Amino acid sequence: MSADKSEVLQGTLIIMILKTLHALGPLHGFGIARRIEQVSENVLTLNEGTVYTSLLRLQQQGWIESAWGVSENNRRARFYSITRQGRKQLTVETENWERISNVIGRVLRLEVQK
Amino acid sequence: MTSWFIRLVSRIRGLFGQEGANSEFDLETETHLQLLTERFVRQGMDPKDAWSAARRQFGNATLLRQRHRESRTLLFFPNVFQDLRYGLRMLSKSPAFSMIAALTLALGIGATSAVFSLIQGVLLTPPPYHEPQQLMLIPSVRTDGQKMDSPRGWAAQQWMEWNEKAGSFQGIAGYNWTFNFLIRNDGSQSMQGMEVSKDYFRLMGLKTALGHSFDDSDFGQGHVKSILIGYEFWQRAFGGDKEIIGKTVRISRWDSSPVVIGVTEPGVRFLPSPGAAKEPNYDVNATVDLWVPADPDPKSLKSPDWNVVGRLRDGVTPQRGQQELAALTAREASADKAFEGFSPTLESLTDEMNRDGRRILLPLLGAATLVLLIACGNAAALLLVRGLQRQQEYAVRIAMGMGRIGLLRQVLSESFLLAILGGTLGVGLAVSAVKVFKVIAGHAVPRLDGLTAGWAVLGWGLGLAVFAAFFAGAIPALRAYRLNPMEVLKDAGPKGTAGIGERRLLRGVAMLQTALTLALLVGAGLLIRTMIKIAEVPSGYNTGLILTMTVTEVQSRANWGPFHRQALERVAALPGVQYAAFAWGVPLTGNNWPASMDIEGQPPPAKESDTIALPLRAVTPDYFKLMGMALIDGRDFRSTDDDKAPTVAIVNQAFTRRYFPNGNSVGRKLWLGGRNRPAVQIVGEIVDGRTDDLTQAPAPEVYLPLWQANAFSKHLVVRTMADPRTVVVEVERALRSVDPTAAIENVKTLEQIRDESLAARTFAMQLLTGFSVVGSVLTLVGIYGVISLSVVSRRRELAIRSAVGAQQSDIRRLIFGEGIRLIAGGVFAGIALAVILSRVLRSFLFEVQPSDPVTFIVVAALFVGVGLLACWAPVRRAGKVNPLEALR
Repeated sequence: MSADKSEVLQGTLIIMILKTLHALGPLHGFGIARRIEQVSENVLTLNEGTVYTSLLRLQQQGWIESAWGVSENNRRARFYSITRQGRKQLTVETENWERISNVIGRVLRLEVQK
Repeated sequence: MTSWFIRLVSRIRGLFGQEGANSEFDLETETHLQLLTERFVRQGMDPKDAWSAARRQFGNATLLRQRHRESRTLLFFPNVFQDLRYGLRMLSKSPAFSMIAALTLALGIGATSAVFSLIQGVLLTPPPYHEPQQLMLIPSVRTDGQKMDSPRGWAAQQWMEWNEKAGSFQGIAGYNWTFNFLIRNDGSQSMQGMEVSKDYFRLMGLKTALGHSFDDSDFGQGHVKSILIGYEFWQRAFGGDKEIIGKTVRISRWDSSPVVIGVTEPGVRFLPSPGAAKEPNYDVNATVDLWVPADPDPKSLKSPDWNVVGRLRDGVTPQRGQQELAALTAREASADKAFEGFSPTLESLTDEMNRDGRRILLPLLGAATLVLLIACGNAAALLLVRGLQRQQEYAVRIAMGMGRIGLLRQVLSESFLLAILGGTLGVGLAVSAVKVFKVIAGHAVPRLDGLTAGWAVLGWGLGLAVFAAFFAGAIPALRAYRLNPMEVLKDAGPKGTAGIGERRLLRGVAMLQTALTLALLVGAGLLIRTMIKIAEVPSGYNTGLILTMTVTEVQSRANWGPFHRQALERVAALPGVQYAAFAWGVPLTGNNWPASMDIEGQPPPAKESDTIALPLRAVTPDYFKLMGMALIDGRDFRSTDDDKAPTVAIVNQAFTRRYFPNGNSVGRKLWLGGRNRPAVQIVGEIVDGRTDDLTQAPAPEVYLPLWQANAFSKHLVVRTMADPRTVVVEVERALRSVDPTAAIENVKTLEQIRDESLAARTFAMQLLTGFSVVGSVLTLVGIYGVISLSVVSRRRELAIRSAVGAQQSDIRRLIFGEGIRLIAGGVFAGIALAVILSRVLRSFLFEVQPSDPVTFIVVAALFVGVGLLACWAPVRRAGKVNPLEALR
């Protein structure tokens, strides 16, 4: 059961990370976590560590790449940036997401009418 | 698919530089936590609280790190090492179990890899010829399909025409076996050699290790001017002397002393010369000592005395080659009566060379495989029972989240370790077994002298170990794989018991082992019965207290008569010697002299293939007395039957039966080499003997007086009063006192010669008996184990039975019944298996059918008896179960 939940979460997290990197350019893990926190307006609670698991996956797929750099307060940090493949994937994932949420929305509306 | 592949590649990359990646991840985590803490502090938190809040928000870092590592790389390899380490620990925890299982496997692996190494060395190592699969021997057969009494070669005119005209061959060459002596003042040395035609070396692709091969000027009529010697003979007789090239050597019966022009590469052996196979020194499996150039003599182009070998062109099938040669031969036969009645067949050289080896080694490989299967059965049962004892552990592991695949891998890695251990021990066993084989099987398996117990044994042993690991480990591993942890944890029954399913499985394994063992036992039984039958067969002559050796006078023809007469006188006068005789054709040496003859009253042959060809033997007067071969008609040879007296012969009963069925042969005549030659008078008849082969019915034989036949190489046969070996030194000294250069070789008692003639059977019998003893012991241990386990597992049931009134004898009968059903089932299956398998032994059997009922009944009864003994201890234990146990 917990496996199902993490699957869904992971899936959405991946879109969020891709979108964030697409919108804001290279960021480190902490920055990505902050952006998601800010956008979700504290509705979504996130184990920030899982961001790194997703980052690893994205990297293995070749959708993002990383390089070591220096953070705003002079700490060594790894900066992630989206690749061309990642942009393509983001379009695909966004379309998918919209289609699914449309369908789910329609299903839910049906239930309300009844 | 592609993304799966991309991830796999990056994971494989992740295998390397693990440490770096780990610390990078740690660094990233730490940075993140610090940044988070600072943020909380900036928001006004207490630094201490901020740190723990940051950690809370980040989640379980350790778990994350673990997961991170897992998804970054392939965990297979680190885990395999972990599994192997764990397996090793578990095995060393119960050394007794491990040793028994490993030894069991070692027996199976050792037996099989020993036989495999023989096969590798004898059958799979090609002869040192270029592309040997293209080489074809071309023996002759009768066109009317009848069997030939003695083999016949080809006339030079015929094969030279083939060489010219046959388009399917790259070339055709003639060769012959030859025998001679290297004359030395301290006892001459025999040499087996090949006379070869011009094209032979080029056709076979033979190379020289030293010097050069023959060129065309070496071939011609008259004295042989140059020879090659074989590598092994060069080492043996000349100590590997590099200066040998260009030296002359003295060879008996040759008028000139030839020059050695080269030494061939090592390991070159003979091609078969069937016509010479009856010579006393013929050994087709030996390495060639001497090579002599031979050019067909224009005066005897039509005499059929060449053996022929040909090399097919690329892509030409033997059938096509044979058709072409047959057509050529038919044309030759219609043009010349001398060639009538025979046609060529093609036999692949490698097939021919491997025939004897294959005949004995393949059945033995089968037997060894059975032993390996039986051993695997035992190991599997042991592992299964051990798995039962550890079921709880497995259940806990599964409950704690160990994957099924992980468990499977762990169980298999344990059996793998066992098999490697067993394989190592087995290789040790095999190496010593191969050494023993080389000693005891020298006469049973051809070309065994060239075999070394080296990497082949190791390779086969370890290969078999891996096979055994999966074979023996599969059942226990699959059981662990399908284990239901809930059931096991709920059940929490006593350790080391088995459910009905496992017991059925184990009984099946034991039954299978019984069947395989029975097949082995039947094979051994059939061979033992064969050997008994052979021992009982009346040979027609004595074999005890007889010493034989080949003795050859190498100096000159003039010296021949005086040497042999003097030698006989001196040897016969030695104390302890009863009789002494010279003989060409000592029993069981395969030695005689096939000759075509005309016999009084038989019609002259209509065509060449109808000529009567019978084996001739030549002996001195005391021979029949010495061998105990009774004279039943006429007279014995006399010392006056020499080259000045009329020629005479003695025949055996079989001869009389075939050619004079209604009368006596004594007083009749026969002609050697045509009716226009002086006739040979038959003066005596002796009893039949199995002279050629103990397993063959006596065939017609003709004996000539040695003084008239003048045989070159021959045996000295000595009948002694006590152990023949005690007079060897005296006899040799007596012979050397007559002529120090005389060649004295192959000193053997007739018993030894007899044993050598049976060597293949004896070796097969010994090995099969050994294998079946090992198999039986393993199987009995297996049966014992299964019944014991059954008693332990049914303890509670037995206690209840006895509590409600079953007598001890009832309980014993119950368990005994289980044992009997197991054994009987296995025995029946084994008999069915043996009926099929024993056929491969057919060529070894003598007066015993492969489905011999006596053997089957005796073996089955014996095994049932021993099997029930194995059940005895557990049955007794079952009878003693305390009824009170039921209540606890």
